[in-house]
Amino acid sequence: MQVVETTDLTKIYQNKYIALNAMNMRVEKGMVYGLVGPNGAGKSTTFRVMMGLQRPTAGSIKVFGEEMGPERSDLRRRIGFLPTNPSFPRNLTPITYLEFIGSLMGIPQDRTKIRLATLLQSVDLTGAASQRIDGLSTGMVTRLGIAAALMGDPELLILDEPTSGLDPSGRKQTIELIRELSGRDRTIIIATHILGDVERVCTDVGIISGGRLIYTGPMSEMRRLARHGTITVEIEGNTTAFEQQIPLLDEIGAVSWERVGAEYRIAFLGEEQLPVYIHRVLDLVDRTGVDLLHFNTGEDEIEEAFLRRLEEDRTRGFLRASAWAATQRLGGGAEALALPEGAPNEETHAGVSGPPAV
Amino acid sequence: MQAFLVLLRYDLGQMVRSWIVRAWVALLIIPAGFLVGIAAANGELASETMAFYQTFVLAPLSWLAVSIFAASAISGEAGVMADAILSKSVNRTEYLTSKVVSRIGATLVVYTLVTLPFAYLLNRYGVPDATAAGIFFGGLMVATMVSFLAALGILLSTLFRNVQLAILLVMVTVLFSGAVLQFLGLKWMSTTAVLNELPATFRGETPLFTVLRVVIVFGALTVASVAASLWVFRQKDL
Repeated sequence: MQVVETTDLTKIYQNKYIALNAMNMRVEKGMVYGLVGPNGAGKSTTFRVMMGLQRPTAGSIKVFGEEMGPERSDLRRRIGFLPTNPSFPRNLTPITYLEFIGSLMGIPQDRTKIRLATLLQSVDLTGAASQRIDGLSTGMVTRLGIAAALMGDPELLILDEPTSGLDPSGRKQTIELIRELSGRDRTIIIATHILGDVERVCTDVGIISGGRLIYTGPMSEMRRLARHGTITVEIEGNTTAFEQQIPLLDEIGAVSWERVGAEYRIAFLGEEQLPVYIHRVLDLVDRTGVDLLHFNTGEDEIEEAFLRRLEEDRTRGFLRASAWAATQRLGGGAEALALPEGAPNEETHAGVSGPPAV
Repeated sequence: MQAFLVLLRYDLGQMVRSWIVRAWVALLIIPAGFLVGIAAANGELASETMAFYQTFVLAPLSWLAVSIFAASAISGEAGVMADAILSKSVNRTEYLTSKVVSRIGATLVVYTLVTLPFAYLLNRYGVPDATAAGIFFGGLMVATMVSFLAALGILLSTLFRNVQLAILLVMVTVLFSGAVLQFLGLKWMSTTAVLNELPATFRGETPLFTVLRVVIVFGALTVASVAASLWVFRQKDL
């Protein structure tokens, strides 16, 4: 069952800024879906339209199979939403605010009290429960937002930058909480630009750029797209010999490398499996007698895959622009807007098609 | 309905805690007591004193206070409204209706609670020339005008994101429209003309038709402003 479905969703603001450009996105029940993209890509706009806070300029958005809009409080009742850097009534305390949310949702008072106590504990706000909201830190406010989003035990949880403003322990705690919340038929959509968070909790991922979903698919597929032939080693000792011998590794495929401090990043561009590359690099370390301090085979693989997708999309954008320019010169029609031969296909993954740009 | 009642209670709580409202009420009560004392000491006419109070105390203070709290009703809490309220199981009609009821209701309650005892005390200790019907109709006319002021404030609050601009526009609109309409001879639409007629109205000398015309005109303007606010607010991106 599709919990969220957007069809050619477009949002153009009054100042003509195109925030969403015919976006097609589908989120199935039970998914933990990570929406990642650079700043200004359209993540928050997508969520605001999804919540009925903003109206789409064109296209449609369905939540639980029904059209979402400003008057659909019945649909919002089933959704928990954490906006990015949320604003709450400053004069209330976490307890009174959560009581207020409970009454808005029609939850009986005794149940509200039990629920808010549990939630305040799970987001580690018990100690600040009676403080005024305007005296809370940014991280505390975000945690209060998570508690408020969970107040109605929602079927769909939408979290916009849930770890922003949190310290490392708060971040870890939030990630654990999201992990706990996943499953049990609950669908979670998270927007973030912290790719490590996505990798830790998400089952599926969507990459948004320029208001368009340029990739969507399972997390495993995203990992597969990474440059899995990149190995990073941190060494000390006779590094000159090590550096001199790196080019000799090209017998198993083209190799490029760079040094950052004591760290060497060696990228194999061949078709071999990763263990082959690992074996060769460790062999080189052994032969040159350097001390190996750290070894990494793709900690940043999700970041690599993400950047790769963005690069591809950018290239596609250039190709589309040149095709359009050529059309204009030749006086061609709209059909000439098709991509030139050999250009990367707009189709990025099953179920998602890239629409023509606005 | 549940959400509407919760939001109404929340907004009324905001109003009670607001310093603008507290100052407004205090500044309405103190001169009222002072004027009752003067009327009692000098044997002033109740109708004249009441009209003086409505024109020179209640009207300007309410113009200031109601413009501020009505015009900041929506734009003044835009962030909180979207993040903390309208992203929950609340629809926009419930939210705006609660604001309208709360802000116009609070205005009318304050007006009634100040005016009725004041009129009673003036008739008791001053020269009692005001009739009960006159006080009722005079009060009704002023109440509909103040309601319109609140409704206009809420409308401009839904139209503009800038709170200061909304407040300024309400004040300027009401201030100049009264004078302009009176100059054009449309006295039944002019707040200034209605206030000038108050002494006669309190004495029961204003024809019922004139009173009804004023009440209907300002009542209709209030309803139109509320309807426009609802329409604008339901289209608005938050």
